Amino acid sequence: MTETYALEATHLTKSFPGVKALDRVSLRLKPGEVHALLGENGAGKSTLIKILTGVHRADDGTIAIDGRDREISSPIEAMAAGIGVVHQERNVVPEFTVGENIVLSRMPRRAGRVDWNTVRSEAKRCLALLDLSIDPDTPMTRLSAAQTQLVEIARGLYTETNVLLLDEPTASISANEADRLFTVVRRLREQGKAVLFVSHKLEEVFAHCDTVSVLRDGKAVLESSPLHSHSRDEIVDIMVGRALAALEVPDRVIDDSAPAVLEMRGVATSVGHHDVSLAVRSGEILGLYGLVGAGRTELARSILGLDRITAGSLEVRGSAVTIRSVRQALQDHRIGYVTENRKEEGVFLGQSVARNIAVTVWAKLERALGFVSTKSERSLGATFVGDLDIRVSSQSQLVGELSGGNQQKVSLAKWLAAKTEILIIDEPTVGIDVRTKRSFYDLIWRLADEGLAILLISSDLAEMVTLADRIAVMDQFAITGELDNTHDYDSMSQSIIRLIHGTQVA
Amino acid sequence: MTPETQQHGVVRRVIATPRFFLAIVIIALVIFFGSVKPAFFSGPFVIAPLLTSVAIFTVVGLAQMMVLSIGHMNLAVGQMASFGAMFMGMSYDLWKLPLLVGLGIGLVAGAAVGGLSGWLVARTGVNSFIVTLAMSFALIGLVPTAYSALATGSAFIAKPSGLDVIGRDSFASFCFAGYCGPNAIPIIVVPAIVVMLIVGYLYARTRLGRELLMTGSNVKAATLSGIPTGRRIVLAHALSGLLAALAGFFLASSTGSFTPGIGDEFMLQSFVGPILGGTLLAGGYISVSGTFLGIVLTLLIRKGLDLFGVGIETLNVLLGLILIIALSTDRIRLLARRRSVKRVQQTDALLIEGNPL
Ligand SMILES: Nc1ncnc2c1ncn2[C@@H]1O[C@H](COP(=O)(O)OP(=O)(O)OP(=O)(O)O)[C@@H](O)[C@H]1O
Ligand SMILES: [Mg+2]
Repeated sequence: MTETYALEATHLTKSFPGVKALDRVSLRLKPGEVHALLGENGAGKSTLIKILTGVHRADDGTIAIDGRDREISSPIEAMAAGIGVVHQERNVVPEFTVGENIVLSRMPRRAGRVDWNTVRSEAKRCLALLDLSIDPDTPMTRLSAAQTQLVEIARGLYTETNVLLLDEPTASISANEADRLFTVVRRLREQGKAVLFVSHKLEEVFAHCDTVSVLRDGKAVLESSPLHSHSRDEIVDIMVGRALAALEVPDRVIDDSAPAVLEMRGVATSVGHHDVSLAVRSGEILGLYGLVGAGRTELARSILGLDRITAGSLEVRGSAVTIRSVRQALQDHRIGYVTENRKEEGVFLGQSVARNIAVTVWAKLERALGFVSTKSERSLGATFVGDLDIRVSSQSQLVGELSGGNQQKVSLAKWLAAKTEILIIDEPTVGIDVRTKRSFYDLIWRLADEGLAILLISSDLAEMVTLADRIAVMDQFAITGELDNTHDYDSMSQSIIRLIHGTQVA
Repeated sequence: MTPETQQHGVVRRVIATPRFFLAIVIIALVIFFGSVKPAFFSGPFVIAPLLTSVAIFTVVGLAQMMVLSIGHMNLAVGQMASFGAMFMGMSYDLWKLPLLVGLGIGLVAGAAVGGLSGWLVARTGVNSFIVTLAMSFALIGLVPTAYSALATGSAFIAKPSGLDVIGRDSFASFCFAGYCGPNAIPIIVVPAIVVMLIVGYLYARTRLGRELLMTGSNVKAATLSGIPTGRRIVLAHALSGLLAALAGFFLASSTGSFTPGIGDEFMLQSFVGPILGGTLLAGGYISVSGTFLGIVLTLLIRKGLDLFGVGIETLNVLLGLILIIALSTDRIRLLARRRSVKRVQQTDALLIEGNPL
């Protein structure tokens, strides 16, 4: 007897100019299974999901739902076929409220009018599934990147679907928030729904998925294999296409007597921080850990003058400063800031890769009459396309055409190019694949060895414990403690969790 | 990539642009008009006036393109032109200043009102549409009032020496060893070409031009990349005002007097040119040559239909239609631009693989 699949895609092929994003890829999702779709940045995962949801059309191949062939040529048809999705890129309408965004795909109506009470109650229901207490009337613009991501997930849960496709839903949220999502996923599995899950965080993949498929350069290199018959390293090797050496954490020597280059003393801000004291020395990586909404990004923004510091002092290289803009931070104080929000604040989707990377260094490349040579721009770009292994068909490719992870690399590259002395990095490896993460870690260590002072904000605890020299923990807009990093994941994570919950209990 | 494949790439890239399409249509129209009405090729009566208006309106189009590059609009181009021109007229008529000094004063005046709009937009965050609309109303009131108070007969007619050379002469008046230049080519094309080259250089080669485009592409990301976006917005609007005033000067020099109605015809044309030529309304992408070709096309249609005796009202209806087509293709073009970039890359890739495409 042949099994019926909740969703069966056969030999899907899709070419974009210059790249075959999918090459005869098949995917089978059984009812009641959580299926991991893995692969490096640019492997074709999002393209596959976009084809299954009618965003793109396949050049070739068929899709069957519950054993019957279906044409899916628009997102509406995908919805009608019972396919729900959370896309990798945010698709919210910033002018709308949280509630409106959640029910956008099907506005509740009564007598031809939008039924606002149902909008609110439905939105509340979806948010409650994720244990979220955001008021449905909050405007989207007031949410952080992580909260936006959570709303996006809530929206994916709004309509009843038999198949739920999740494209890196956990990329920009921390483990706690992700756990609530997995509770929902487990419930869906019990109800016999099929879930496809894309992630670069292998820990959660192994903890929550049953089956795995792997894409590499647009080809399926592993199709619907039981996940637990593989080891983690095996999966990584399959994704990369060769054996990947284990990550070596270097022995870093920090000169404790060196003066701090960036220091905050008793800082309070207009957005609600109080009594924040921090210091980063040259050559040091200070991690700033906390839950979503703890106020870490906001602290970075206030260092850059995007939010106001109302009390205390900010000192750069020993002298108190007032910074009013990123430009001033860059030019006068050599401070760079990699945003957590690549699509809105990090990259210029309609501009070339070369320009996206060179934007911070035009002032340096500038010659007489404001002349900037395209050649110097490109040679700079080539360095980073190489170093970070950014998958582009050429440097004149528009960044909007790159895969999500590759866009993230571009957003990072422009600040590495700026060669600042102090670098604030906010969630740098969101959506970046395992291999690139390693080369990125190596790069960060190298930069720190060269004397760069780094303030690292990350919700990825493993990343924190790997990269940072010291870890400061923030909760509710205040620093609750600081730890020397022993690089031992278990003991560090326990101490950190204690620091977070310590204040919540108190 | 071998040089040969690179050449293929270049050729394809050129073919894929709206510029190429415009050029084809323009050539076809010239052949059509010329063969049906041979009078079309009469140098001093048709071609020379046509080139004069092309020169003037290209500058008008570039004035609008400046603000389009940052994703803004300038609905007051016409009024900024008449405002700048008014200062030139006053310089010549009331203060008896020489040509270039008066020109400089007028350009500064144009840049100042433009800069003021830009400052208001940057400062208040109000949409440039609204700010420049308000600006145009203010100037519509101000300029004629100033003229009726200061000018005799509501126009400044004093001409400094050299004004007619720019606005009225052709190369026929430049003779060397008994040979004179063609009378079909007016002198005014020279400064217009210089302006095109400068604006082209600004966007293609300089930091400032790139920063304007980045601001247009994503203003938040631009601010967070260290670009002083507020100042760039002011600059774009100021340059828009300056070019508008320059266009006003060109128009006045060709008609021979400075009047309050100088920019009345500018606004519609200023959008048609850039948008037909591929400049995106949303910002982040411009084309100088496209703006030029867009202007040539619309003026050519105007001139050609004029020869057939079609009235000005019909012409305006037609111009409106062209604008609608241009605007609705704006969005399509945004997609097509992406696609064309890709198509080029695809062919490059095929060629690299040795596929004899
Ligand atoms: N609209 C597009 N135009 C051109 N190329 C595209 C487009 N969308 C995707 N691609 C290309 O297709 C390939 C696959 O991209 P895709 O987004 O599917 O990768 P992914 O596996 O989701 O990667 P990531 O982990 O970074 O999200 C990439 O090389 C990308 O550059
Ligand atoms: Mg993706």
